[in-house]
Amino acid sequence: MNGVAVHSALVCTETHNAICNIHNEATGKDLLISALNLYTSLTHQQVIMRMRLKLKTVFVLYFMVSLLGLIYALMQLGQRCDCRDHAKSKDQQISQLRGELQKLQEHIKTSQLSKKTDVPRIYVITPTYARLVQKAELTRLSHTFLHVPQLHWIVVEDAPQPTPLVTDFLAASGLTYTHLYKLTPKDRKLQEGDPSWLKPRGAEQRNEGLHWLREMGAAAKGKEAAALEEAVVYFADDDNTYSLQLFEEMRYTYRVSVWPVGLVGGMKFERPVVEDGKVVRFHTGWRPNRPFPIDMAGFAVSLRLILTNPQARFDGDAQMGFLESSFLQHLVTMDDLEPKADLCTKVLVWHTRTEKPKMKREDALQKQGLGSDPDVEV
Amino acid sequence: MPKRRDILAIVLIVLPWTLLITVWHQSAIAPLLAIRKVCHHLVKEILIIPERLTIHRQRLADDGTETRHDTGPATDSKEYCSQDKDIVEVVRTEYVYTRPPPWSDVLSTIHVITPTYSRPVQKAELTRLANTFLHVPNLHWILVEDSQRRTPLVTRLLRETGLNYTHLNVETPRNYKLRGDTRDPRIPRGTMQRNLALRWLRETFNSNSSQAGIVYFADDDNTYSLELFEEMRSTRKVSVWPVAFVGGLRYESPKVNAAGKVYGWKTVFDPHRPFAIDMAGFAINLRLILFKPQAYFKLRGVKGGYQESSLLRELVTLNDLEPKAANCTKILVWHTRTEKPVLVNEGKKGFTDPNVEI
Repeated sequence: MNGVAVHSALVCTETHNAICNIHNEATGKDLLISALNLYTSLTHQQVIMRMRLKLKTVFVLYFMVSLLGLIYALMQLGQRCDCRDHAKSKDQQISQLRGELQKLQEHIKTSQLSKKTDVPRIYVITPTYARLVQKAELTRLSHTFLHVPQLHWIVVEDAPQPTPLVTDFLAASGLTYTHLYKLTPKDRKLQEGDPSWLKPRGAEQRNEGLHWLREMGAAAKGKEAAALEEAVVYFADDDNTYSLQLFEEMRYTYRVSVWPVGLVGGMKFERPVVEDGKVVRFHTGWRPNRPFPIDMAGFAVSLRLILTNPQARFDGDAQMGFLESSFLQHLVTMDDLEPKADLCTKVLVWHTRTEKPKMKREDALQKQGLGSDPDVEV
Repeated sequence: MPKRRDILAIVLIVLPWTLLITVWHQSAIAPLLAIRKVCHHLVKEILIIPERLTIHRQRLADDGTETRHDTGPATDSKEYCSQDKDIVEVVRTEYVYTRPPPWSDVLSTIHVITPTYSRPVQKAELTRLANTFLHVPNLHWILVEDSQRRTPLVTRLLRETGLNYTHLNVETPRNYKLRGDTRDPRIPRGTMQRNLALRWLRETFNSNSSQAGIVYFADDDNTYSLELFEEMRSTRKVSVWPVAFVGGLRYESPKVNAAGKVYGWKTVFDPHRPFAIDMAGFAINLRLILFKPQAYFKLRGVKGGYQESSLLRELVTLNDLEPKAANCTKILVWHTRTEKPVLVNEGKKGFTDPNVEI
């Protein structure tokens, strides 16, 4: 009779009405019931024929419509939505805002001056070297640091003596700073044309910064020494990008605190994996078997730990990527790491790199002796 | 046999509906679909009196029935419509010291127009730009996204900085002929976004208002010194200064004669352009923008390096330019570019959690 029968329409005719009824209840189609009632009065043959046609088309149509509707809805879902904002009603928002406003005004009355002095100090060690973009990098870095209270910037130049550019810049920056310098020995220095990953950079300069801190720590007495007990040391490269929240996260570090770093290791971000409040491993795509597969910008060390471990330093001869491990493995084990940034789920620092500006025309002009005025500092 | 068909039929009918209902519940798209129609023009101000905090003005400029057509981009009328009609946020209680300096009635407002687009370094760039802007008093940041709708990343970032901002968006039309994803190469990047911002300024401010303003085009990857903003505040018509790392030189600068007037351009790349200057090398007084409402960046048919000229030649002549930065001898802005991060280890499926925002 009907070799193509796949459709439930035919099922209804061949089996009892009971199943059809269940079916109808499930779908809730009143017209089906009335149609069926109408057709039971006709002959069996006619019933079969008409039912087949009517119900079949109805079901086909229904199936197509529901499929289209599903596809449409799924497409809509493809767009991301910021659902949090729609959760509250306007009234709630207004009252919440009023409450915050009141809190703020109270905070103003009771708060200290903007330069809070009762929080642990952050020592930021930045190695830097002379290149075209140096002043620009230091400028925008200083703009970030100016927002952080109790920050002491230790700038270590890779130079035989302090350069006027950095000296003048630091003097005008408005920050609390220490200006050091340490020349990298020739064999460890990257040559022109070497890729940046060939030799680890900044090791000598960071060690110089640590050396200065240790000397200062030894010479400090009384209240100053007490302040140093709580201080934190952070290694910040001059081309990375730091959010202001990062410094608040690292401020209270007992030993070594860690957090995710964006745009590093060939991935969107690298991070320590935290379970039960402890770091169990590191989520990184590049050489995860290092003792500490973490970027320089991804951890901070308490000054206390540095002062009590005078032998801890960066190994300038370390393999690529092992520079951080060479320092950290003397200080702490993975168990003792303190995860920050919401248990290492937020990215608060990005390992950005600045392009080397193209100087073709400048070089051509220099050859002709018509280069731009060298007195103008860039 | 009938039994199997029966079950199959029931399954085929019930399955799509259950799927739909469960998935629908999990997401909140229902309100999203409802809001699409109605948009309000919402301007709210919260004035916080204590001098430590700033006056936090925030505008969500949305126009409901935008039907004007003009020389600007034609597709942006519906982009004005926002889905987010939240009321103004209050400054947060933490990080009070990071708030911008108090608003002054005496200083002129600097309207900084920044086009931006989504890419991995976007949040980083905007973060450090915001850190710089937080030091500048009376700064109004107009951030225009190159996107179909405002992204939550930028919305959240702007809110958390505490800056005085306006968040707009317009999408540069895509060149479907090539690959479906590349933008129209004939329109230089950022043009439509800057034009939208100019249009917004013209609609928001009228010529009679006494608010003094300066308009500056700042790209999100450049570096700006704080001194630059103070230099541009005294602009009467259009002021200019040197920019580092452009045109293949250490810096490009205008040529200034002994009388303090600009008479040429010290560049190698086509110094005979009407205005051989980078986008970051000039600022325009708001009054001039309002006085010449037809002046926009030319969208198409612009040769490389002539974009700035396409706007400036409608506004001012060489004679009227005001040299700043010690008669154009100091570098206060650097045209830095950020390397595109190499994300090889992400692989095809992505190694890292896509829900974490970078």
